[in-house]
Amino acid sequence: MRKVLSIGYVNTLRFLRERSNLFFVFLFPMLIILLLGFAFGSGFDTRLGVHVAGEEGPAATELVVALDDLGAIEVVRYDDADAMVEDVQRGGLDAAVSIPAGYDAALASEEIVAVEFVARPTQNAQLLTQTVREVVAEQGRPVRIARFLASQGLGGYGDLLPVAEEQANASNRVTVESREAGESLFEEFQDLGAFDLSASQQLVLFMFLTSLAASADLIQTRRLGVARRMLSTPTSTGTVLAGETAGRFTVALTQGVYIMVGTLAIFGVDWGDPVGAVAIVVVFALVGTGAAMLMGALFSNDQQAGSIGVLLGLGLAAFGGAMAPIEIFPEVMQTLAKITPHAWAIDGFAELVRRDGTLVDVLPHLGVLAGFALVFMSLATWRLHRVLTR
Amino acid sequence: MRAAVLISLKDLRQRMRDRSAFLWGIVAPLGLAAIFSLILGGVADPETIDVSFAVADEDGGRVAAGFVEQLRILDEQGVMEIVEAADADEAERLAAAGEVDAAFVLPRGFSASIDAAGTAAIEVVGNVDSPTFAQVARSIAEGFAGEINTVTAAVFAYASVAGEMVDAAQAAALADAAMAVPAPIVVTDAEAASKQLSAATFYSAGMAILFLFLTVQFGVLGLLEERQNQTLGRLLAAPISRRAIIAGKALTSFLLGVVSMTVLVAATTLLFGAEWGNSLGVAILVVAGVLAAIGIMFVIAAFARTPEQAGNLQAIVAFLLAMLGGTFFPVMMMEGIIGRLSLLTPHAWFLRGLGDVAAGGSAGAAFPAAWYILAFGVVTGGVALTRIGKAVRP
Repeated sequence: MRKVLSIGYVNTLRFLRERSNLFFVFLFPMLIILLLGFAFGSGFDTRLGVHVAGEEGPAATELVVALDDLGAIEVVRYDDADAMVEDVQRGGLDAAVSIPAGYDAALASEEIVAVEFVARPTQNAQLLTQTVREVVAEQGRPVRIARFLASQGLGGYGDLLPVAEEQANASNRVTVESREAGESLFEEFQDLGAFDLSASQQLVLFMFLTSLAASADLIQTRRLGVARRMLSTPTSTGTVLAGETAGRFTVALTQGVYIMVGTLAIFGVDWGDPVGAVAIVVVFALVGTGAAMLMGALFSNDQQAGSIGVLLGLGLAAFGGAMAPIEIFPEVMQTLAKITPHAWAIDGFAELVRRDGTLVDVLPHLGVLAGFALVFMSLATWRLHRVLTR
Repeated sequence: MRAAVLISLKDLRQRMRDRSAFLWGIVAPLGLAAIFSLILGGVADPETIDVSFAVADEDGGRVAAGFVEQLRILDEQGVMEIVEAADADEAERLAAAGEVDAAFVLPRGFSASIDAAGTAAIEVVGNVDSPTFAQVARSIAEGFAGEINTVTAAVFAYASVAGEMVDAAQAAALADAAMAVPAPIVVTDAEAASKQLSAATFYSAGMAILFLFLTVQFGVLGLLEERQNQTLGRLLAAPISRRAIIAGKALTSFLLGVVSMTVLVAATTLLFGAEWGNSLGVAILVVAGVLAAIGIMFVIAAFARTPEQAGNLQAIVAFLLAMLGGTFFPVMMMEGIIGRLSLLTPHAWFLRGLGDVAAGGSAGAAFPAAWYILAFGVVTGGVALTRIGKAVRP
């Protein structure tokens, strides 16, 4: 046991002495969580740019306010029309509305004024234009009635406009009654803080990725003859393997606990029931360790293991819902995601945080994850017994 | 020059043998681009939305038919798909289940009530998870209702201002006159050429530029490895100038970078349908990107003592720049300081330049982005050259 611990200790030390590992274990995950929180924390509202050319009169302001009042649309004001169009082109805005100079004056005269709807040629824009058209038409209705009255010789436009507005507001022969239906898939996400979802996703992603990267150490242990030297002492293969495993487990667990405590302290991330959360981190660290041992057993060149590690680490994370929530995947992909340990760990955290679960509720998740760990470790041990000295 | 080429050829052979360049330069980026566009593509791609509305016409009258007809025109224009539901319950069920984004219900007696100058309501049932499209449905219904209301309001306003009672025949004539008044505000559609990359293109380009930095690393690191393996001394003992050795290593990086990028562009186009745009424009951006990557990796190597130290620092810089440059998620679209910070990376300019090429169509659209990318290479490369002499020592 002493031997196992000291091999594990040396392994951990070796990993943490590498400064770049410190960056990828401690700093990089936090930076990503921070950026994701800023990027997506404000939600996915439809964004509509608005630019008013020239002096903004009351009618123009009224139109902007009417657009802003649409619940599902966020209006972003621009002073620079070119910058607004550029943002539409690059996707920062879903579309934009350009109100021409002299908008108020044109309405007061007999002119027809054109408001420009700027959008990329997408279906989304075609839909959005329906909404903008209705808001614009609504603004034009009193004007239209006043113009009609003036055309009937009942007076000047300016005098008739108040009556027209009054009648337009009072007229409600046809009304629209709207309501929502269905159970929201996203409702449970809506109560989450800006960092809550990405914190558990990145925790899982990085614990696994770091473990795979740590497989390089095992490869070095084999290639540099460290394993051979250890085995020349009265130490069994089992002890060496246990030590190597302990080293990688310590690294994975350290990172997991660090991200959990760090995001709790810095971003106030809610992890739910602490016992359940720690249990998931511990078992997931075992999964990562198993995967690392397997990688270390299968590859004999750390450059190869490195590139495949990044590919698998990020690829499985994407599959398992660590980049976009699994709930929005197509059904087939949701099922497929279940073959990744990531999906089970993330769902476990979701159980704790979004559905207020406790340790008992995540027992199935823990069981499946332990299964992953067991399979990975057994395969790795079986293979390493033969290749440890190669 | 001959010496530089020979050094480079030897390096390339070495990298081919251990397959590391192949794995870092092609397999990893290609694999990730495939996974990301498969999984995140459908989620994030604004071009692939699929919107449908259900309509239940329980009324069957003239006015209701007019509304359904209006929806059918939108369907024909390809704006959305219109599904006819048998009755209000089915429409509600479709909306609740999320099979349609929203449903319209025209209740029994709708048309008759309007014809009799009474009131009527169009019901709009929006799916709870489609607020934006439910809003669109509401707008369409409100637009239809607004037209009827406006004509009525015009007649009422006339009566009120003129101070006279209007009979039915007069009201109909006034309504026609009111309808003839054109809408005072019209909406004109201006199409903005999209500079947004499709999901497949975005992930292909993002992964390509991320791994480009890790691929060109091999050539640059070769210099430090030669020193560590004590082959640098032998090279220097031969009649080979320091400059030729550095040029050889840079050439290795350049060739690895250009070849891997070319393969990635071709493979992602064929396999995932990535649309990179004008070939010459893409080529300009790729070459600029490779030079920037070499410059940045060289400056790190110039300040590092061992290849391990350099390699680790290079990996950090590569991932940090890639994250900030928006290769994983669009950081450059973020408001405020972080969005601007993003433009301090060649990655952001590379993706931006591709967007410009996609919108502009011609190779010239690669500029000015290509100049910015190149500027990273020139500045970092210049700094590296002032220091690198110290590294080329046995």
